[in-house]
Amino acid sequence: MVRLLTTLLFGLTAALSSVDADAAPLSFESAKAKAGARVAIVGGTVHDGVGGVIENAVVEMDGARIVRVGTGTPSAGATVVDAKGQWVTPGFIAASTPLGLVEIDMEGSTRDTGRNTDPVRANYDAALAVNASSSLLGVQMIDGITSAAVTPQGGLISGQVAWIDLLPEHHVDIVARRRVAVAGSLGQTYGGSRAAALARLAEVLDDARFYRSRKAAYDRRASRDLAAHRLDLEALGPVLGREVPLVLSAHRASDLLAIVELAKTQKLRVVIAGGAQAWKVADVLAEAKVPVIVQPSSNLPGGFDRLGARMDGAALLHAAGVSVGIAVMGEAHNVRNVSQEAGIAVAYGLPAEVALSAVTSTLAEAYGMGADYGVLRAGAVANVVLWPGDPFELSNVPSAVYIRGEAQTLRSRQTELRDRYLDLDRFQ
Amino acid sequence: MYAVLPDPACEGVLPSRSVAAVPCSVPIPLRPVMVLWLCFALACAARRPADPTPPPTPEPTADAKPELADEPTATPSSDAPAVLLRGGRVMTATGVIYERGDVLLREGKVEAVGASVDTPTDVTVLDVTGKTVTPGIIDTHSHLGVYASPGLNAHSDGNEAVAPTTPQVISADGYWPQDPQIDRARAGGVTTMLILPGSANLIGGRAVVVRTTPNIRGVEDARFELAPYGIKMACGENPKRVYGDKGGPQTRMGNMAGFRAAFQRAVEYRRTWQAYAAKVKDGSDDEDLSPPTRDFGLETLMGVLDGDILVHTHCYRADDMINIMALAEDYGFKIRSFHHAVEAYKIADRLEAHGSSASVWADWWGFKAEAYDGVRENAAMLSAAGVRAVIHSDSPHGIQRLNQEAAKAMHAGRRAGIDISEDEALRWITANPAWTLGVDQHTGTLEAGKLADVVVWSGNPFSVYAKAERVYLSGTLIFDRNDPKTQPHTDFESGFRTKGAH
Repeated sequence: MVRLLTTLLFGLTAALSSVDADAAPLSFESAKAKAGARVAIVGGTVHDGVGGVIENAVVEMDGARIVRVGTGTPSAGATVVDAKGQWVTPGFIAASTPLGLVEIDMEGSTRDTGRNTDPVRANYDAALAVNASSSLLGVQMIDGITSAAVTPQGGLISGQVAWIDLLPEHHVDIVARRRVAVAGSLGQTYGGSRAAALARLAEVLDDARFYRSRKAAYDRRASRDLAAHRLDLEALGPVLGREVPLVLSAHRASDLLAIVELAKTQKLRVVIAGGAQAWKVADVLAEAKVPVIVQPSSNLPGGFDRLGARMDGAALLHAAGVSVGIAVMGEAHNVRNVSQEAGIAVAYGLPAEVALSAVTSTLAEAYGMGADYGVLRAGAVANVVLWPGDPFELSNVPSAVYIRGEAQTLRSRQTELRDRYLDLDRFQ
Repeated sequence: MYAVLPDPACEGVLPSRSVAAVPCSVPIPLRPVMVLWLCFALACAARRPADPTPPPTPEPTADAKPELADEPTATPSSDAPAVLLRGGRVMTATGVIYERGDVLLREGKVEAVGASVDTPTDVTVLDVTGKTVTPGIIDTHSHLGVYASPGLNAHSDGNEAVAPTTPQVISADGYWPQDPQIDRARAGGVTTMLILPGSANLIGGRAVVVRTTPNIRGVEDARFELAPYGIKMACGENPKRVYGDKGGPQTRMGNMAGFRAAFQRAVEYRRTWQAYAAKVKDGSDDEDLSPPTRDFGLETLMGVLDGDILVHTHCYRADDMINIMALAEDYGFKIRSFHHAVEAYKIADRLEAHGSSASVWADWWGFKAEAYDGVRENAAMLSAAGVRAVIHSDSPHGIQRLNQEAAKAMHAGRRAGIDISEDEALRWITANPAWTLGVDQHTGTLEAGKLADVVVWSGNPFSVYAKAERVYLSGTLIFDRNDPKTQPHTDFESGFRTKGAH
């Protein structure tokens, strides 16, 4: 009874602190969700994902939520996990990834990363394609990735981002929340010119607004032509209402400034993914409070829109006051290497705790999931990882991973294959 | 169709892979200089390159070593000032690590390595206490220069994808010395790399070993003149995908048939030259005796049969590698290295028996079906079986941090209970690639007499936070992280960047 009350109380707290007041409850917390076993991780050093460090800490989980982060003795009845000498962090988040939508990149039959019709695909919902049986999930999870912003690809507006927890075979509720953001790409993604892409994006947003107020007229064919299919326009509604962010992949400074301008005129929440030249316009991005998600190792002038890409880009953005996220961009199989990317950012000047935030809380906040994810705090989802040391060091992988409070078995298809071949004598 | 990924520079469909899905290359006519190279590579003494006496063609032997690699070291002279690197952690990649040691570089070579090296009076002493000294990093698989950055259509010079067998082309001819990626590789401690044609073709052409020499104006300025040629072959998915609707090969069957046909032609080509050589030797009185028509592609394959050209085969699946080893054994040559070799761990014993090295990634996997079974322990499992394991990049990003990639693979192996020492992991990116390229007598370890290809790291190179601080190539300081003057940049980037930050 007490436990139930506590759970309800924390659930309420979490709901109240939510950024998105009208966001639906997370998929795994339906009315029938019940409290799980209480587990206390004791004695480790908490790095809470928002800059706080607590030595000899206690992190208590009850069911799928964290109920306490602090010091002292664990609650009576809690199962105690000894974390002495360990780092305790929020689970890392993979942003801007098609994880769960693809098994083998070059095999179309295994790939549901996007719709291949029309440049405006706002109603393409990644959540409908997430495969809980994907072997990729375990491979990333055992390296400390616990959630992902599953992002469709292609076109000008690619579709709806799904927020998942990396729980293999959780077919019913692997998607924690659908439609947390709309993803798109600028550059020459429409009409053969970046100017055409920007004009089209503005037109589509205008028409989405237009359609919203004239649905009935449209349905009785008393409307002018629209810039995109009605369902795609409708799917942009939450973007227009600032309920979800528009996450735009872009690199060139001119595109980044255009995004800032678009956000201002259309009153949108925007996030930039990529941002090779973001450091050149860092002051503008900081002023407009536009978060930027970068891949620190991307330091090559791979195209003329990426001249000046540099490994200290994250540090420069942070110094200018920009909120910086870190991701392994646009791929799924090795998003586990986001820890290495964070280490590279630190090597090139980003403060270590900021880098930890960049793979946890900053990303969660960018996708509107900051109330529930990316932080060790009472009320947050219990995605907690124990590490034998600095999680960015190449020597360290998690010693334990909890997702929604459940201890995960640290096995993957890759560890199975490895073990199968450790002794070749069993083969011909 | 595909989303824009971080660096679609090289490979069309998927970045950082060595095949172009929609290859577009224009045939380039043979230039005289190439004829000279061929002549040089085959050690022929013809006065007229176009009409040479054929090379000697001994019966192939199991361990035929490249002729050039067997020659005494003709070390390039160096004007670089002598320097003693004092007090660093010296990792020699020979099995010895000096926790505190000295390395003396003079006249382009490593003159002495040890716990304590006497300081000659005329030598600059550099205190590198707290830092780590290693051999220069060597990458066995790079397309720098031939798939340059920015990834313009005009820069697609790595796949002569007009026919499945193009042994006549040479990667050096496509190497753009102004590729900014070369600067980044140098800043990552790389001193030597094998520049390969891509993997669109069954036989993609000759591969050339280059150095990361700064301020070059043509590829010849950077070629490692002591290195033998390599040849690029590719099995599995790429050739059959590229040629499936262009006349084949369309299947793995077609791939193998294509290899057999090519090497059979080479055997027959060699026979015509052997017959000609015999006649010349016998003092034929035939006034009309003239050499057979020269075919540069078949000449390359003849070099493979003779063991003069080292074979680098892009191959992922274990069964594909087994088939290629059988083919090589049928024709009497060796595979020097299987590249990518994502499933090498499944056949480590057979690779060891064949004597091939395996050039693998730490953790790339899954981008195509034949890469689906990747494991991070691949290199460690190969080492444990006695195979020369190599961590390669095939990537303009990966080449900048081969030390980190080796670290990931080393730690994965250790966690699986395989005892991989730091020296062994260092060998994955130094000594073993040196052997793979046929230059192990010149570089790849810190030993007296070897070229002074040396990196001074800010700390343990297996840490994500370590950086190459100083890079020496044949004793010349070619990169100094603390001195912008020694951070050369290409013509291409001149005038664009406002601040340097490799």
